[in-house]
Parts: sequence; C-alpha cells; structure tokens
Amino acid sequence: MSVSPNGKYLALFTSEGKLWVVSTDFQKNLLEFDTQSKLPPHQLAWSVYSNVFFRLHKMESIGLDATENIFKIGSTTPAAMLYDALDSFEKKLSKADENIRSIRLELSEAVEACIEAAGHEFTHYYQRLLLKAASFGKSFLEIHNADSFVEMCKILRVLNAVRFYEIGIPLTYVQYQSISPDALIDRLICRHQYLLAIKICEYLKMRTDRILIHWACSKIKKSCDDEDTICRMIVDKLANKPGLSYSEIAMTAYVAGRYKLATMVLSSATKLLDYEPRAGDQVPLLMSMKQDELALTKAIESGDTHLVYYVLLHLKRKLDVANFINVVSKKPLACNLLEAYCKEQNTKENTEFLKKFYRLDDRTTDKANLTLIESFQLKDTAQRIDMMKEAGKLYDKEHTFEAKAVEDAIRLIQVQAQLEKEYGELFTGLSISSTVYKLITINQSTRANKVRSDFKMPDKRFWWIKLRALVEIRDWEGVAAFAKFKKSPIGYEPFVEECVKARQFTKVGEYILKCDPHLRAGLFLKIEAYNEAGEQAYIQKDMEMLQYVSGQSQCELFERLHSVPV
Amino acid sequence: MSTSTAAAVAAASTPTQQTGAHLGHTSLNIDSLRDLARKELVNVLDSDHGVENIYHLQPGPLETEHRNLIYICRPQVNYMKYIADTIHRHVNDHAGTYRYSLFFVPRRTAVCEKVLEDEGVFGDITMGEYHLDLIPLEDDLLSLEWDSTFKELYLDRDTTSIYYAAKALMRLQGIYGWFPRILGKGDYSKALCDMMLRMRREMAVDDLDVSQTTQMSQNIDSLIIIDRSVDLVTPLCTQLTYEGLIDEIFHIKNSFVEVDASLVSTAPAPTTSGSVSGSGSVSGSGTVPGKKKKVSLNGGDKLFSELRDLNFAVVGGLLNKVAKRINADYEERHNAKTMPQIRQFISKMGGLAAEHQSLRLHTSLAEQIMDYTMTDDFNKILEVQQNVVAGIATNKEPDYIEEMINKQVPLVQVLRLLCLYSLVNNGLKPKQYEFFSREILEVYGYEHIQTLENLRRLGMFTKQVTTKNSYNLVRRSLSLIVDEVNEHAPNDISYVYSGYAPLSVRLVQCVVYRGKDGKQAGSGGKGPGLPGGNGWKGFEEVLRMLPGRTFDEKQRVDDGQTIHSKRSNGQPPISLVFFLGGCTFTEVSATRFLASQDRGQRDFVICTTQILNGSTLIDSLVQKVPDPRTTA
Repeated sequence: MSVSPNGKYLALFTSEGKLWVVSTDFQKNLLEFDTQSKLPPHQLAWSVYSNVFFRLHKMESIGLDATENIFKIGSTTPAAMLYDALDSFEKKLSKADENIRSIRLELSEAVEACIEAAGHEFTHYYQRLLLKAASFGKSFLEIHNADSFVEMCKILRVLNAVRFYEIGIPLTYVQYQSISPDALIDRLICRHQYLLAIKICEYLKMRTDRILIHWACSKIKKSCDDEDTICRMIVDKLANKPGLSYSEIAMTAYVAGRYKLATMVLSSATKLLDYEPRAGDQVPLLMSMKQDELALTKAIESGDTHLVYYVLLHLKRKLDVANFINVVSKKPLACNLLEAYCKEQNTKENTEFLKKFYRLDDRTTDKANLTLIESFQLKDTAQRIDMMKEAGKLYDKEHTFEAKAVEDAIRLIQVQAQLEKEYGELFTGLSISSTVYKLITINQSTRANKVRSDFKMPDKRFWWIKLRALVEIRDWEGVAAFAKFKKSPIGYEPFVEECVKARQFTKVGEYILKCDPHLRAGLFLKIEAYNEAGEQAYIQKDMEMLQYVSGQSQCELFERLHSVPV
Repeated sequence: MSTSTAAAVAAASTPTQQTGAHLGHTSLNIDSLRDLARKELVNVLDSDHGVENIYHLQPGPLETEHRNLIYICRPQVNYMKYIADTIHRHVNDHAGTYRYSLFFVPRRTAVCEKVLEDEGVFGDITMGEYHLDLIPLEDDLLSLEWDSTFKELYLDRDTTSIYYAAKALMRLQGIYGWFPRILGKGDYSKALCDMMLRMRREMAVDDLDVSQTTQMSQNIDSLIIIDRSVDLVTPLCTQLTYEGLIDEIFHIKNSFVEVDASLVSTAPAPTTSGSVSGSGSVSGSGTVPGKKKKVSLNGGDKLFSELRDLNFAVVGGLLNKVAKRINADYEERHNAKTMPQIRQFISKMGGLAAEHQSLRLHTSLAEQIMDYTMTDDFNKILEVQQNVVAGIATNKEPDYIEEMINKQVPLVQVLRLLCLYSLVNNGLKPKQYEFFSREILEVYGYEHIQTLENLRRLGMFTKQVTTKNSYNLVRRSLSLIVDEVNEHAPNDISYVYSGYAPLSVRLVQCVVYRGKDGKQAGSGGKGPGLPGGNGWKGFEEVLRMLPGRTFDEKQRVDDGQTIHSKRSNGQPPISLVFFLGGCTFTEVSATRFLASQDRGQRDFVICTTQILNGSTLIDSLVQKVPDPRTTA
C-alpha cells in the first residue's frame, strides 16, 4: 500500500494480484490492473512527475518465467542445469561435468536463458551469478555469438546506475526495453541528472546534444547571473560539440524575455563553429524573434534559396520599400533573387517595386532597361513613347549608345504610326529593317527609301532587304531593274542565290555573269546550266571544274535518256 | 461523389512505352537510384486508390469528372497560376467539393506558396514534395532536367540549382558512398562543392546514423565539377555527332524527339492504301502529313546507341552496312528449308522487325540531317565557326555575320556566331562592337538592348579592353584544335566537332590523365596514388587563364578509413563528371569516348543540370516582348 506524494491517491496491491488505485477518500476508483501475479511486490512507489505513477513489481510476468525456470526448486530446464553446473564447478564437484553433458544439445539456449534471467534480477549478486553461469556455459560452445552477453552487461550497468538510491529510478529490464534508452535519458534530464545522463550517453555511444541543450535552457531559465556570464558559461560547455544546434537554446532565451542573450547565443554559435547547422529550423526561429536581418543572413549562408525567398517575401510584406531595400541591398544573393522574382512575376506592382529598388540601389542603367522593356508591353502608342522617353533619360554618360538607340526607337514608332495611318497596315512592333521590307512588299518603294535614309541604313543591308522583298512578291522585273540600277554593294551572288531559292531561273544567267569570274561555273551548275558552266570553267581554265561539269552533264543526259518511255 | 483520382502532371515527358529497359547494365548500379524514385512516387500517388487518368498541366480549364486531383509539377510560377485558375473555376461553377493535392518536384518553394496565397487557394491544397532530382537518361548519364539552369545561374545569379545539385549529389553519396575526392573549376563549381561539404556537416546533426554508416564509395573515386561559365565556347559550336545534330535540328527534349509521324508509322510497306494507283497522292497511308510524333531516343535502341556518339560523316556508311546486314538476315529465309531452320528463322523475326523499324527511323533522320548539312548556309556557318575557334583571323568572319544579319536569319543563329567570335577574340574592337550592336537593334528590334546587356553581363558579347588574348594560350596548351581528325577511327575527343576538342572535356582529361601522353594517372601505383589521378597538377597555368576558382577537396570518414576507395570487386574506378549549368550531347559523347579509351581503366558517369545546345543557351538570354500583332 502506498500513498501518492500529494496525498490524494492510494495504490494498493490486493491478495488476488490486482493493482488498485483509488482516491484516498475511497470515493473514486481510478484503476484496476490485474498483474496476474500472486507474489506480493517488494515495494510500491509513486513517481513524482506529472502525477503519473508507475508500479514497481519485482518480477513481472515475463521476467517471472525467466528467473523461475532457473530458481524453482527441482527445475530441470537447461538453464537451471547450467546454473547448477557452475555451482558444482565452483565446489569442484564432478556433477558439473555431468550437468553440462546432459544439456549439451541445449547449451546455447541455456546460456541465453541465463543472460536473460540476469537482466530480470535486481540484486547485483544474482546478476553476477547468472552472467557467470552464462559465461561458464559459453566456454563449452565452439561457436557462440557473444553479442547478447555484452549487450546485457551494458544494459545492467545502466540499470544499476539509475537504480542507485541517489537516483532512484527503479526500472526493470522489461520496462527499459519498452521505453528505450532515449526515454530513460529524457527522464534523467527531467530530474536534472545531467551528469549521469551524459555518462550513460557516452557509454551507449548516443548523442549528448539534447542533454546539453536542456542543461543550457534550464540554466537560462534559472540563473540570475548577467547575460554575458550565462552566455559564456553555455558556450564554454558546448564549444567542442560539433553539429549541436543552438536554435532551441536561443528560443528559450527569447521566450524567457532575454532577447539580448538569444542573439548572443546565436552569434557566438556562428563565431565558434563558423556555421550553424539546420538553417531550416533557425531561420523561422530568428524571424519569430524579430531578428529579420540575421535571419536573412543565415538563409543566405545556407544556400537554400527557398529560405532566402521565405525571409524576403516576409520582409517585403512587413517593411516599407526604403527600409526593405536598406536591409537587402548589401546582400548580393538576396538582391539577385528579388530581381528574378519581380521579373518573373511581371506584374505592375512588382515592376514598380523593382524600379524603386534600382533607383535606391543606384542602378540607373538597369532601371532604364527595365522601363524600356515595360514600354514594349504598352499598347497605346503615346503611352509607349512617354515611357520610352523616361527610359532614355535614365541612361548615363557611359550609355550614350543606348540613349541614342532609344531615341531612334521612339522615332521609329512615330514613323510607324504615320505609316499605319497612311496604308492601313500594321507596322508597330516591326524593326527598322522589317518596316522597310514591308513597305517594299506593299509596293511603296519610294516610302521605303525615305525610311531608309531617315534611319541612315547601311547600303549593304538595304540591298539585301530590297532584294529579298522583291523576291517575296515575285517581282522579277523589279529584281532585274534593281540589279541594273547601280553597282550592287553586296555583289550579285545574292541575286543568284535568292532566285535559285525561289526556283526562278530565267534571269539568273545575267546575274551570274555579273559575279566574280571564278564563281560563275559553280553558280551555273546550281541552275543545271551545264553548257554555260562548262564554258565558264573553260574560260577560267579550271580543269577540275570542267571535268566535274562534264561528268555531271553526262549523268544528266544519261538519266534523261533512261527516263524516256520506250 | 466519385473518389477516383486524377493526376495532372507537368512533368517532362509522357513515356507511353516501357522506358528504362536500357538502364542498369553497368558497374554503377543505377537501379538503386531508380527504385528510390519509384517508391516515392508510389507514396505520392497513394496508389492504393489508383490513378485513373493522367492529364498534362496546361492553361485553361481541366476537363475531368474526377474529384481527387493530384498535381505533380516543378515549382514554377506559371504552373501555380494554372492550378489556381482551375480551382477558381471549380468554385465559380459550384461544382461541388474537390480535393487538391500538389506535389512539387523536387521541392516546394516560398515563391510558389506566395503565388498560391496571393491567388487565395493556398488553404485548399494539400502540399507535398516529390524528391525526384537526378533522372537517369542512360546508365552513364544523369540529368536534373532543369531547363532554365543556365539563365538562372549566370544571368539572374539565382543559385537555386546549385542547391538542388548539392542535394542530388548528397543523395547519390547516400547510395554509393562518399566521393573520396571532389575537384572542379569555376566559382559556381566551388560553391557546389562547399555546399556539399556543408550538407555533410549538417547531416551529422540531422541524421547521425546515416552520416556515420555511410562509407567511402567503392566505385566512384572522384567527382569532377565543371562550371559552364568556364567553357562557353563549346556549346556555341555546331555539334557534329549524330545525336548532337539531331538535337541541333529537331531539338531533343527529355530524350524524346518530335519527328514526322510518317517516319515511325508501324506500317512499313507502301501497300496500305489499296490499289488506287495513279491518283498521285500516296500520303494517304493513314498518317496525316505534317503530323508530329514523339520518339524516344535512348540506349534501348541498339542501332541508335551505335550511332549516337559518332561523327555524322560516318553515319551514312554505317547505316548502309546495317541495312545490308538486315537484308541478308531477311534473305536467310530462303535457306530455311527444314522445319527447325524455319522455326529458328521465325524466332529471329521479331528482333529483325524491331531492327528494321529502327533502321527506317534513323535512315530518314539521317536523310533529313543530310539535307540540312548540305546547304550552303550550314557549311558557311560551319566554316566560319571553325576558323574562329582555330584563331584563323580574316575579315571574312565578321563580314559573314553581317550578311546573316542583313538576310535577317533568326537572331539566335546570329548571336551564336557573334558570341563565339567575341569569346574567342576576348571581345570585339569598340567600333565593331558598336556596329554589330546597332545592326542587331535595327534589324531585330530595340528590345534587344536588354539582350545585348544580358550577353555583355555574361561576357559573351563584349567590347575589347585589352588585346591580350587568353583563349589563344588555352587553345595552344590544351591542344583544342586538332588538324587531322579521322572520323572513322578517332583517337581524340576532337572528333565530335571535326577538329575542335571541347574545352570542358579537355579539363576532365587533365584530371584523369597525366599530361598529353594519355597515360592514366594514379593507376601506375607509383607515388601517393591518390584516387582520381593527379588532380590539376601540371595544368595550373592554363587553369589560371580560365575564369573562376580551381579546387581539389578530399573527403574522409572519421573511423580512420583511408581516402583510398577499396575496389575489391575488380570494377574500374568511376569518375563522376558534373556539368553545372548544362552540357551538350557532344560533351557527353566526348566523355564516353574517354571511357572507351584504355578500355577497362576508368569509367565515367556524367551528371548535368540539363542538356543544352548553343541555340537553347542563347535563346534563354534573348529578351522577349509581346507581339503587338497577337495582342492588339
């Protein structure tokens, strides 16, 4: 029978083997649990924390079998025999040998049974005896995996340590197995048994991080030292632990109202380890601590652009443009991402924002380009021109080329608007070249010439445009006239080329004769004029070509002969 | 209410046939990577319920009678808008209750969440992640298939892809063990390496068990990271391998290519359209002309795997040979007299038919490529390119570029050549620079002020500031130009560009081989014999000429295990080559060529953020504006 620490509840073990919990006034029946054991427990105790009690019962049902099979009077299980054999051996009796022989085949199981039983024992004496028996039996086996033995020794050391009266966690082997070492560590942490917890972790090769973090957190909560001292104390202890996350500690400090300490912990962590892992945890934390700029820095350091965007978008919502840009401006990755974001979104709002950003960040050329591109999205000509003018003004002395180009672009739009009025055709959106080209295709050559000279188009380009445009509308007379007009700055091969492409061979001969003499034979070949090709090759004394031409023409002749229906 | 589930997928491709049968045949067991991805997908789809329909995620209403919608897509803003749009429609239609799940590949991003929030649908969607990162395209080729990487990294300087790459490489290390050595060139390469090392330290916190139990890699002895910015010349050149040319002309997307449906129709003989002869139109064999069909191009196609890495010059001959062989195999039927002989022939028939089908496809692809490579324009461009990279300076090259502009050939083609010219010559002379800038603006439109600015920022089209030209030195010391190339029996990687050796792969060679004699480093047993060769030793001077940092990091494990990877299984060591910012098919071929040299000495596995070519690269930098003719 045991009363709970606060005196409200009573735990009873009944003669039927039931565990019964009632309120001390016997009014409320809280729990009845059948332990299926008639053996009375050694002790019944209450656990302190969170009013949850657990039952202490020396040998639980499972443990019971294991030990009973060995210690029951007259038990003949292999394990019992093994245990007995050890006893005989120590007394130097030959019975030891007999016992071993009799269980020879089951020796391996006997060893395991002894190990298992040792786990269920509470007294060191029996633990030792049973393990000794197991080890004794092991020596008769040729092959035996000692892992379970080693493992049990470890567990027993841990269990014995926590069962020690100063700690007072009377944990059974079965309980330990079911709650896992992690949970045991948690219980130790809750009892502030940090040293033991760390020792156990080290012994079991587990990480000590959460113990240290918990320690640090409780230090922060309880200590009345000044923040510098606490910070130093924590950092000293945690300094040589790579990979430990300081986030939780910082958050604790923050929640406890020690804002300065929180940032101090984080920044010293950064300094110490020159990185803080788990940026993913830390960034939102810093943001909730209103350490936005630090959060942004951390996010950038992590290289995870998702995090950077997360902070950026948060800041963009929260701050006004000037403040926002102030925070962002010295962080190149943040700027780049912001730019990319605004450009991709391509909404009025984002473009305006980006313009402001460029202005405050002294990037006038970028602003000019952005404004220019924005102008292309406007449908209204007047608006478009206005915006282009705005863009043009933004180019500085080093960008006179661009400024001039924008002036031309404006002029072009004005010309195009005029053309649209005159001819009822769409010109907007076309380049200078395309505008001239289109004018020629709608038979407005004079106007085309005017545009050409307005924009000082190089001769070569104009000739190409006119030639191509005339070919497109299949104005062969126009082409011929153009060829005669004056000496072509692009030569006459283009005339040949374009006509051949359009499969228009009639006047091509004339153009070929205006070409460079050594090219003529090859050009004639293109229009399958073998005689002329041969003639030209002959004039040029190009024997190779001549042979090739004659070969080709014979081929042709041959094919023609064969295709004649008989 | 229907509980059936539909998935809307904005994934790369829709492989309809059993793909992936071609994978899993080399020493590096790709299967473990694939299994991981497959299991996770099953979890994502919660396939106890079964997916009934798969749709492509695209703008506009989603016509479905299903109530359970699972979206799987990249974290891209446009996709978020499509999804939000669908949800808005459902709400407006009062169509009842739907359940929406959204899985981001490979992970969710704050930006997408923001978009969904702004659209007011954030709360309606259950969100998750599908961590599909490196996708095995072949046994020796893994890709993140993140198409926009190049622009993101180098123009926007948005380092998201480095983070993804690091995550993916950590995952590889989780499967295959720590890479004993990480070497690389370029600032972003260094950033990637640093991030991996950092993630490993973080892992010690998050997942101690895994971090402690992961061993040194048994097979992979080194990771070589090549930053695309180190070598921008290579992708701008026209690829001259078979696969490279297919990509240049038809554009291979996620190892699929769209071709004319008639090329792959299953009816091989023109005997289908009945006996209506003389009518002239023979195209009525069931396939509409101009209709496109997706064909997968991978190692599962035996013929293709023979052809893909070859210089196109030899492809025709090889196809011819194969055609003759298949024909001979068919002819064997005449020799099959006895029943067992006939049975034997019949059993071979299935294979023959498949081979025949593949031959048909590749013959017609090769024909179309041939048509293209025979044109004057192609040959002129090629000639200019080759002169430029070889450093043969004449006036002809800029003149030709000018002519291209005057003829208004597509801007991407012009810029490809112009950038190549600028890169190789360390910029254009100021006058020339201004001339070409003006030409481009006047011919292609003033919005390209931004395009030119983009190219300038990347150092691809610049004004010359000094006449010192580092490219010349690099070209000489790494022998990038090889004059005599035997395309039939190549002895150097330069065969992929008919005489120009891709700089990026030359760098890989530097690490793996000692000097130019081609002798493998580290395998001789002399000296310290670090895994992964001598590192950059002996090439310091050249590396200084190239942009970005050079590094050589060694990874170890704590328990005293040496950095030597133990290769008890007798497999050759593998170098993992990571192309950050993308690589071309020719670079893949060239790396494969390295593996084929000194057979059995060293294997290569290529990882890349995406596959690109000069056109896709340039196109991503070209400023686009809405066309007034379509929006007006």
